[in-house]
Amino acid sequence: MKNLKKALLLAGLLGMAAAYMAADDSTKRYIAHIGKQVPYLPYRYFI
Amino acid sequence: MADYDAIVIGAGLGGLTTASLLSKNGFKTLVLEQSDIIGGCCSTYESQGYRFDVGASIVEILHPMERFFELMGKRREDYIELLPCDPIYSFITEDGRRFSYPTDVDETTKVIESIAPEDVEGWKKFASLGFEMIDRMMDAMMLSPMKTVPEAMRMVIKNPEAMRFLPLLMRTHQAVTRKYYRNPVIQSSVAFQSYFAGAPPEIGSGIFGFIALTEHLGIYYPRGGMISIPEGLARAGEEHGLEVRTGRKVEKILLDGRKARGVLLEDGSEITSDIVVSNVNAKVAYLKMVGPENLPRWAVKAISSYRHSMPCPMIYVGLDTKPDLEAHHTVVTGSIEAMNKVWNDYYTKDLIPSTAMSLICWPTEADPSLAPEGHHILNFLCNAPAPYAPLGDNWDRIKGWYREEAIKSLERVVLPGIRDHITYMEVSTPLDFERRLLSPQGSIYGLFSDMTSLALFRPHARSRVVDGLYLTGSSTHLGGGVPTTIASGIITSGYILKDRG
Repeated sequence: MKNLKKALLLAGLLGMAAAYMAADDSTKRYIAHIGKQVPYLPYRYFI
Repeated sequence: MADYDAIVIGAGLGGLTTASLLSKNGFKTLVLEQSDIIGGCCSTYESQGYRFDVGASIVEILHPMERFFELMGKRREDYIELLPCDPIYSFITEDGRRFSYPTDVDETTKVIESIAPEDVEGWKKFASLGFEMIDRMMDAMMLSPMKTVPEAMRMVIKNPEAMRFLPLLMRTHQAVTRKYYRNPVIQSSVAFQSYFAGAPPEIGSGIFGFIALTEHLGIYYPRGGMISIPEGLARAGEEHGLEVRTGRKVEKILLDGRKARGVLLEDGSEITSDIVVSNVNAKVAYLKMVGPENLPRWAVKAISSYRHSMPCPMIYVGLDTKPDLEAHHTVVTGSIEAMNKVWNDYYTKDLIPSTAMSLICWPTEADPSLAPEGHHILNFLCNAPAPYAPLGDNWDRIKGWYREEAIKSLERVVLPGIRDHITYMEVSTPLDFERRLLSPQGSIYGLFSDMTSLALFRPHARSRVVDGLYLTGSSTHLGGGVPTTIASGIITSGYILKDRG
């Protein structure tokens, strides 16, 4: 069960990486922009 | 005993809406405005017989304004006269083609058919979904608080159809535009409005893609200039005892522990109140007026994480002739790719683009009384957006160069020979905006707006770190704009009335 979870997680991450690599430059910039903001969301929610 | 029941810092639309509604509900309320004129970005100044709008140039989505007057028990028509503008926009494309979108939907269909017959079907689908959203969701989205998960859930439970439209928040403006339109000219005529929310099409939220549709419900110019709107809001409040003082700058929000107890003015005087409403930029309110030393560390991290919205130099032009324009607004724009390029290759690198989107507003088309007889005015936004700190220079030194570039741009693209007809010209740079409006970095829409800084993730109208402190205006839900900031004032006054009413 543990191994299955790890495999699914790995597959998910690989899938996301593949989708990112296949995206156009504009989408990559959008993902990068959002990615930089995500760590602040928990703080922003409470202010 | 406190001097006032409520003090509002800043006489922008959000501040005046909140203050007037509190006055109507029996609160002894004072508005303190640092400038000599009220309205903030939605204001008008007079010079050499011309009346120029500082920033905001039109009003659309009248519902929040009508709702305000309804709550005040008054009629909007008695306070603000709105002149309809039609067509909505005139466009000048990269290859010099000109066309206009009228407010009438069927007439717009004909315009799209003449340019891109393949996009007529997309336009109809876009309009169908958009008008349904406006009809069912506009009230809920604009006038409901949506800062917390319970608030957002309440909104969705009351309006289950919201689930259909919420995915638009997660998509980009250009994704929504490209879903409905294939022709690059039509795409750019919709996508440019992403910059009205302060972001390029590849970052701006898809929900703003429907701004273009709300304009088909009508766009209006207030007689006497944009300042007529804040003047109308203030007058409605003054009839209930509201006091508005201009030329009074607030330095600090006074605290008793974590509780607001009033304000300290620049002249050293103190005015006390248990309720303080900030209509200034949220970063200024928390980091300068409250002070980081009075905030928990997580709150400092939260408020510091927001980026300011983009600045925009404005050029105010007086003419002794009628300009060769077709609409209240003329947009000079390129493709979606060009709009993104300006952001990525210029704005974020502190460079001023040589060609980019320009917006020419012609207020005397709607209201000739804004200029001497036979004269006209233009409010010109040239090659936007432009950075706050151009690389290796500052706006005070390059103002003259920018002024000349603006004239060349007007001559090249829009009005040949206009130089000989200019009787007045002033450039308001991002630095000027910062000085005049105390808007950090000259930001014109408060905080940057994307899906990570809207709704649940925008500063709360009821502070969670300082008791008795409330926020309103473009830094709160739903961001910058005339209808949105009036809506924010309605939401903020609602919180106060619930807490203290």
